[in-house]
Order: sequence, then structure tokens, then C-alpha cells
Amino acid sequence: MNRQNTKDPFVRHTVWSLWAFFLVSALVMGQSNYTINGTIADKSNGETLYGASVFLKGTTIGGVTNEYGFYSITAPQGDYILNVSYMGYQEINANITLNRDQKLDYEISENSTQLEEVVVTAEEPERALLRKPEMSVLKLNIGTVKQMPVVLGEVDILKSLQMLPGVTSNGEGSGGFHVRGGASDQNLVLLDEAIIYNTSHMFGFFSVFNADAIKDMKLYKGGIPARFGGRVSSVLDVRQKDGNNKNFAATGGIGIISSRLTLEGPMFNDKGSFLIAGRRSYADLLLKLAGETNSVSFYDLNLKSNYSINPTNKLFLSGYFGRDAFKIGNSFDSSYGNTSGNLRWNHIFNDRLFSNLSAIASRYDYDLGFSMEAFDWKSSITNYNLKYDLKYYLSNQFKLDFGASGIYYDFDPGQVNPTSETSAVNPLKLDRKKAVETGLYVNAEHQLTSNLTAQYGLRYSAFTRLGGQALTDYANSQPVVYNPILGIYERGVGIGETDFAKGDAIETFENLEPRVSFSYLLNEESSVKAGYSRTAQYIHLLSNTSSATPLDVWTPSGKFIKPQLSDQYAIGYFRNFKDKTYSVEAEAYYKTVDNRIDYIDGSDLIGQNTIETEILNGEMRAYGLELLFRKNEGDFTGWIAYTLSKSEQRTPGGTAGGLGINDGEWYNAVFDRTHDISISAAYRLNDKWSFGTNLVFQTGRPVTYPNGQYQYEGLSIASYAPRNSDRLPAYHRLDLSINYKPNKKPQNRLKGEWVLGIYNAYNRRNAASISFGQNVETGANEATRTAIFGIVPSLTYNFKF
Amino acid sequence: MRTYIKFSLFIVLAFLSSCTDVIDVPVQEGPTRLVVEASLDWEKGTQGNIQTIKLSESTAFFDTNTQTAVTSANVIVTNDSSGANFIFEHQSNGEYLTTNFEPILGQSYTLQISYNGEIFSATETMTGVTEITDVFQDREDGFEDDVLEVHVIFTDPPEEGNNYLFKFQRRGDLLPELEEADDEFVNGNEIDWWYEIEENEDENVLPFQPDDIVDIEMYGVSRAYYNYIDILIDQIGGVGLFEATPVAVKGNCINTTNADSYAFGYFRLSEVVRTSYTFIED
Repeated sequence: MNRQNTKDPFVRHTVWSLWAFFLVSALVMGQSNYTINGTIADKSNGETLYGASVFLKGTTIGGVTNEYGFYSITAPQGDYILNVSYMGYQEINANITLNRDQKLDYEISENSTQLEEVVVTAEEPERALLRKPEMSVLKLNIGTVKQMPVVLGEVDILKSLQMLPGVTSNGEGSGGFHVRGGASDQNLVLLDEAIIYNTSHMFGFFSVFNADAIKDMKLYKGGIPARFGGRVSSVLDVRQKDGNNKNFAATGGIGIISSRLTLEGPMFNDKGSFLIAGRRSYADLLLKLAGETNSVSFYDLNLKSNYSINPTNKLFLSGYFGRDAFKIGNSFDSSYGNTSGNLRWNHIFNDRLFSNLSAIASRYDYDLGFSMEAFDWKSSITNYNLKYDLKYYLSNQFKLDFGASGIYYDFDPGQVNPTSETSAVNPLKLDRKKAVETGLYVNAEHQLTSNLTAQYGLRYSAFTRLGGQALTDYANSQPVVYNPILGIYERGVGIGETDFAKGDAIETFENLEPRVSFSYLLNEESSVKAGYSRTAQYIHLLSNTSSATPLDVWTPSGKFIKPQLSDQYAIGYFRNFKDKTYSVEAEAYYKTVDNRIDYIDGSDLIGQNTIETEILNGEMRAYGLELLFRKNEGDFTGWIAYTLSKSEQRTPGGTAGGLGINDGEWYNAVFDRTHDISISAAYRLNDKWSFGTNLVFQTGRPVTYPNGQYQYEGLSIASYAPRNSDRLPAYHRLDLSINYKPNKKPQNRLKGEWVLGIYNAYNRRNAASISFGQNVETGANEATRTAIFGIVPSLTYNFKF
Repeated sequence: MRTYIKFSLFIVLAFLSSCTDVIDVPVQEGPTRLVVEASLDWEKGTQGNIQTIKLSESTAFFDTNTQTAVTSANVIVTNDSSGANFIFEHQSNGEYLTTNFEPILGQSYTLQISYNGEIFSATETMTGVTEITDVFQDREDGFEDDVLEVHVIFTDPPEEGNNYLFKFQRRGDLLPELEEADDEFVNGNEIDWWYEIEENEDENVLPFQPDDIVDIEMYGVSRAYYNYIDILIDQIGGVGLFEATPVAVKGNCINTTNADSYAFGYFRLSEVVRTSYTFIED
């Protein structure tokens, strides 16, 4: 067994001793203090609110609610005004007398005009955000997301996030998203804590998240809290609604691509609630009616239920099922999707100690059937995850998160099965791979002085690739060999196999991942923050195409592929203007990723059992500057986001010999965008009419174009320039939307809304790709652009009752 | 099989977008290289003594100049076992000819070209091919229904590691189409290889019609050549969103004087079966 200890002992000791010091200093501070705790929820539907502020006015004592709406604050005996606020909600000020520990639950109401996006009236909460060391985090209100213009009227949280700094897509028609110059497989995407392996429907046209079922989402671009691990670029934490526990409600929408319906209501004698949300596209039904044999469709189903056993114990059950299906004539059909489920148990040990235990399963699978050739192809990844998270509200100055998690992975990279007796295809099964990933973490949020707050934590992660399979041994231990005569990388020569028994570990890796950030309040209006985080990633998505496809398979680290390790440094400046009407956020980051693989020229990943013969180990680096200017208040709201960044890769030959890809020089990563400007604005004319617009400009994606041609076998053959040394033309577009709410009597339960959207209003033909070839009629070489969306109008009707 | 799986993505994308146009794009200009088209093809049942090697130079990608023939090179092929030399004499237009070549299956040969004071060299083995057992037409198969396709039937030999290159050209069409295959998933089976032409209105391409004649060539090729032509074929006709990042494809003709100025093209020795098929009304 080969152990890899990546962290030097110095860091380990320093972190632990600092931590012990703070813990002791925090403990001795408690005197005649009392604790209040409880949950904050939405008055209309009982949904608990994540990130709501709870403050004692006139003091700096307070906090924000956790993912389950829970808060706990401790203060000296006395009379206070307790202020509860949340963006877009009316605040509450309650007189309380603190002379004993008590449980206080509050419900707050949404501002009457839903369209007002961010309304901040309370002073303290906003200062709290400035004070919080949390940085590099994007949070978008679902209300805001729903107002933004979208393609074909499909509300899409991923596309909305791409309007913020540091987040880009790989262009239309490609799934996933990129954070701070990272790859899409470097994002940990969680839906109710379950890992979602493929975030898109229809090859990236739409995301798998049905906004009607989503309560909130948070994207960590850096400064990833110690409770998350497993990906080096970002964490997107999406949470489903719990379901209305006051009364039965239905929301839905009818669009040109899909229709949605969400039902929710109380159950278990008001001790719980449920939510069931479905969405289905209907292009396939129309195509069928039109006599087409081609078909395309997708659907989602979101389920959630919760049950309060008693005030200190609550159970949650959530599920997601999503699927895409394609059928092209009778030549082939494919179907793929995510399935996930999570059972959670919230337990409040006492007024300061909150815990949650989760048992989670998730799976992504891809099926492809060729009826004519009589074979099918199936691949999947499945994981089971058990995690236990605790939060201890030790004092007002000191809060502690700690917990553990274990994930068992089962990778089925693919099997081919003949589907008839006469099939010319032989069955094939790629090696199934199994692995276990464990994590232990502790994290403190510590107010050091009235202006300086720190968050520091440590995550220990370990990954074991389990046996039960054989691995190929290569001549000279080289799965890839440089051929110095021809100047190319070739697949290594297998000289035998080593069999690993089921109980054996093929390889084990361990990492210590320190995460530290500080916030220093400069004055009432501004703060500076700085952070460092180290993260490890043990599973990798194999993709040698310019755009990730649903067919790509995940693979674990092991003998040939090492875990990716990232170090990220960030600094930021945050400021509010004009009584918080405006805000500015500026951040700069630098990050490096070790052990990022890239693919040798001519690599073939489909049906490939020995991935190690197709790859070389390399590294990545990315740096950038992000600016976000927002107008938060008034009838006219919106933001301007600008990102200046660079993302590069270098892949030396290593053990294979030779200089490596691109002669071992740095080259642009596919997700490098020099400039990225996004402007999003909303204007509310009156209670009936409102308008929205998006404007996007982005440097073109790095691509590889030909730099010569020659005649061979009667054809003109293109010869290509060094990897990613050209760029597609710049991407830009303008979207518009108009929302109309017909006047309804207030007593009517049914509330409707029309949304007219125009995507790509000036019909820019943005290139998704440009390919080079010979015109078959004239024989001349030409460049062909594929553009996915021209101007796309859409009309959607949304309702609620 | 891989081809099918890859192609499935391509088709889906085409189905979803189908929104393409030809545009002007500035491209870089790489170094000019010698291009070696040394395909010594031995048609089954013939002597294979007459062989041609074509030499030319590469140009900028959008260059329409066709006067790129290399006429002043010395070209020799040597049998690596017997040492027998076959001298290729320049005829015209960069074509070099020999009439006394002796093909031997499984034999290794070396090509040597001296040009402009530099020596280019390549070594390759003559590879055999199995017989085509049947050729017929049908409409049922293929990615498009109700389009005529031609079926080529052959039986892959029982030992593993056979690699094929197909060349299809409808008479009257400007460009041939190349396809490659190996026996990785179909070893020893009877294989039904079909070929169809998809309609392309932009370039006035019609599918096969009755009375169309298609010329079919099936080559046995080495694994190294398969790896080479596999990448080349993937990149012919352009590289789209769901295809591997395109690369400069290096063949086996190295420059022993200056390694950086390697040549494009390949020194290939293949046995080939040629046939043609005339489509009929069905």
C-alpha cells in the first residue's frame, strides 16, 4: 500500500494548537449568560429560512440561521430588542427579557411586492455580512432567478449564476459550469446534500433544477467551509423546499418547452408537510403527432417530506428523479439521468448544540441502445453517503462546526451487451471500480475583536480505492510511453496483470485540508477579507472533448491517477454606499491545482478499460479579479459584474518521457475567459408590469484551429495548431423579459402571471463551435460555424393558488 | 462500436441545433512540411510490382494553390530482411514510380527520401486483409431510414488485432470517404459494414440513387497506421463540440536530419480488396 501524506507536520501542529488556544479562551468567557434558540420561518408557508439574521439591537450579539432555520445566541442577562430579518422579508422587532434560557421561534412575512428583490432595512444584519469572514460566496434569491430573462422560458438557476462574477459556461449546448477557471467536474453539486453528477438536461440547454421546488442555493467559489470536501473548484449547495406546512398550495407554469406543477401542504396532523414537484417537456409528444420518428424529452420529479417528532427531533425525506431521453429514428435511443434520495434526522441536543444525521444515495446512469446494430451500452456511478454534522454555539464570539462523513462509490464505467442473437458485437464489460472516501472536520467561527472575525478549520480526508479487480502492469511501469522517433505519445505495453482481492486496498490517499479566512471591519460601511483554502478531489470526470457530454464517465483516483489538490488564496473588499442602496464587492484570487490530468493526442476514452494509457498528469493554475456592483433598492435594481481572469494547464511528459503536451509549455484551459461582463437589471413599473434584461459579453473560448493543409488519399487534410492556441469569436447577447400580472381581486386565491421573454434579442449567431473541412462540391476548405440559439421568443404562464 | 457511440452524440447535436453557416475565420500559419503519400497497396491476386509514391508540400489552410508537387527528391524502399532496394523514379507532378516492387505479407520495409539536403525515413510492415464475401444494398440500416446504403460483408480472422481501412467513393463525386475499423469488439465475427450518404442540401449532396456506382476498397493496415488514420478520419470534415480536441497528426515519416521538420503523410504497405457496386431499383 502506498501512503501519500501530503501535508507537512508544521501546518498540522500550528493549526491544532491555535485551535486549542481559541477553544480554551472561548470557554472561560462564559459568565451569567443565557441562551435563546429557535427557528425562523416564512409566515405564509412555514418554510424555514437559511441565512436569516437574529440580532439583539444595540449590541453586536447575534447570528444567522443555519440550513434548517435554526439559530442560537447567548447574551448576558437583561432586556433587549430582538431583531429578526431576512432579505425580501419584513423584519420583526420583539422585546425580550433574558433571565433564563428559552426557545423563541419566529415567522416573518415576505414583502408585499414580491418583485422588490433585495430590501435591506436593518442596520445590524448588513453589518453582519460585512463582518462574516465568509467570502467568495454567491447567493441568489429564487425570486430574483425567476425574474431574469431565460431561454425558451425555462427558469434556470445555473444560467442565473453565470451572470455573477467568476462563473461561466462553456457556451450554449454544453452542460455544467465553470468557477474561477476550473473544470465542470471540479464543482461539487449538491441537491439536498446528495451529489448530482450531471447538472443539465438536453446537453446543457436546461438545468436539472426545477426552480419551483428550490428553496435556496449558495455557490462557494473559494473559501469552501471545512464541512465540504471532494471537489477543488466550488460547491453549489442547493436545497429543496420543505413543503408548505400551513395550507395546501399549488404552483405551476405552462411554457413552450415544458410545464410544471408543484403541490405542497401539511400532513401528519400538522406535524409535517410534503412537497411534490414535477416538470416535463413535451417536444416528444408534438414530434410524435407530427409523425416524426425522432424524439427528445426530459422530466424531473422532486419530492420532499418532513415530520416533527417533537420540538427537538425532526425527520426529512427528500428525493430527486430526473431523466432525459433521445430517440433518433430507429437507429438509436439514449436515456440518462440522476436519481437521489436523502433521509435526515435533525436533533437538538440542547439550546447550543444542533446536529444533523444524513443517509444519502445518489446515482447517475447513461444508456444507449442501437437497435440496428443490436447492442446497447450502459454506464453508471452510484454512491452511498453517511454524514453527521454538528454545530455548537459555544458563545457569541465562538461557534464550532464539526462532523464526519463516509462515501462509498461504485463506478460502472461501461458495458456493451448484444441485444439479439445475430448481433455482430461481442459483450464487453469494463472493470467495475469501488472506493471509499471519508472526511472528518472541525471549523470555528471566532470573533477575535469587535472588528476582526476569523473562520478557521481543518478537514482530514482519506480515499481508498478498493480491490476486487485486476490492474494491468506495464513494461517499465509506463502506461503511456513517449516514442522519441516519431515524437508522439503511445499506449504502453501491457505485460501482465496484478489481481487485487476484494478486501485489499489498491491505493490509499490522505490529505489535511486547512481552511482559513478573516474579515476586518474597516468602518460601518466597509470591510476587507482574506482567505486561504486547500481542497482535495478524489474522483475525476474523463472528457477529452471541448464540451462535457452526458456520456463521459467518472473515475476514481488510484494507482495511475492521483487526487487533485488545490490551494486557493483570495482577498476581497466589500462596501455599501448610500445607506445600502448600492454595494460593491471586489475579490482577487490565485489558485493552483496539482495532478490535473489531460489527454494525449488521439486519446480514445469511449469503452476504454485502461484509462491510464490515454492520459498524462499535469497541473492547472488560475487567477483573476472579480468586481460586482449592485443596486439593491428601489424600482430599478440590478448589477454589473466584471471578471478579468486567466486559466492555464501544463502537462509534462513525466514518467512517460518526452516534453509533454504542447512541449510541456503552459496552454490555455478550455474554460479560460479573459473578460466576462454581465449586466442584469430589473425595473418595476407598477404592480402589474415589470421588465428585466441581461447583457453578456465574454471573450471567446480557447479552441484549436488548423494552421496548414496537405493532400492525402485524395483529400485535403487539415493540420492543427498547438492545443487551445486559437479562440472562438467573442460571445455576447442581450435578453429581455416582460412580466405582467393581471389585476386580481385580493380575495381570489388564484394568482397568475405572464412572462414574455426574448433571448438573444439582436439575434447574434454566437459560435458554439467552428469546424474546418472541405466543401464536398467544390473541394475548397471552409470554416463552418455551429450556432445554437438565434433570437428565441417565449411565453410562459405561471400560476399559484 | 466506439464509432457508433461517438456518432450518436454528433447526431443528437445536429438534431438539436442544425443551425450552421460558413464564415471567414483567420487562422495561424504553421511551418511548410514535406507530405509523403507512400501507400504501397497490393491488390489481392495481383503481382503488386507497380507502385507509386506521391510527394508534395503542405500549404496554409485556406491556400488554393495546388502547385505543391515535390519533383527533385530521391526515393528508395528497402526490404529490411533481404536488403533488396526498389528505386522510385520521378515521373511528373511529384509522382515517383517503381515497376519491380516485390510485396511480401508480414515483411518489414524501410522508405528513405532525400530532399533539400534532408533525409526522411519510415519503416512499416506489409499487412494482409481478408476477402469480402458479399456486397448488397438495403435501406433498413444506417442512421437515416429510407436511404439506400451499401453493405460489405466479410469475416474477421480468428486471431485478434486485425485493423481495416475502407475507402468508398461514388463515381462522379469529388471526394472519397474513409472509414476505419478494428476487431476489438467483434473479433472473429462475420461483420456487416454499411455505408450510406446523407443528404446535404447546402452542398448538393444526394443519398445513393438507383444506378449510382460506388467503388469500395478494403485495406488491411497495421495497428500503428490504424492509430494514425483513426485520428485523421475523426478530424476530416471538421471537429465539433462533442469530438476530441483536434491535434497535429504525426505520421511515421521522420526527418533524421532535423527532427522538428517531420513530414506529413504515411508510409503504408497494405493488401487491398477492391470492388464496386451498382445500385438497383428496389
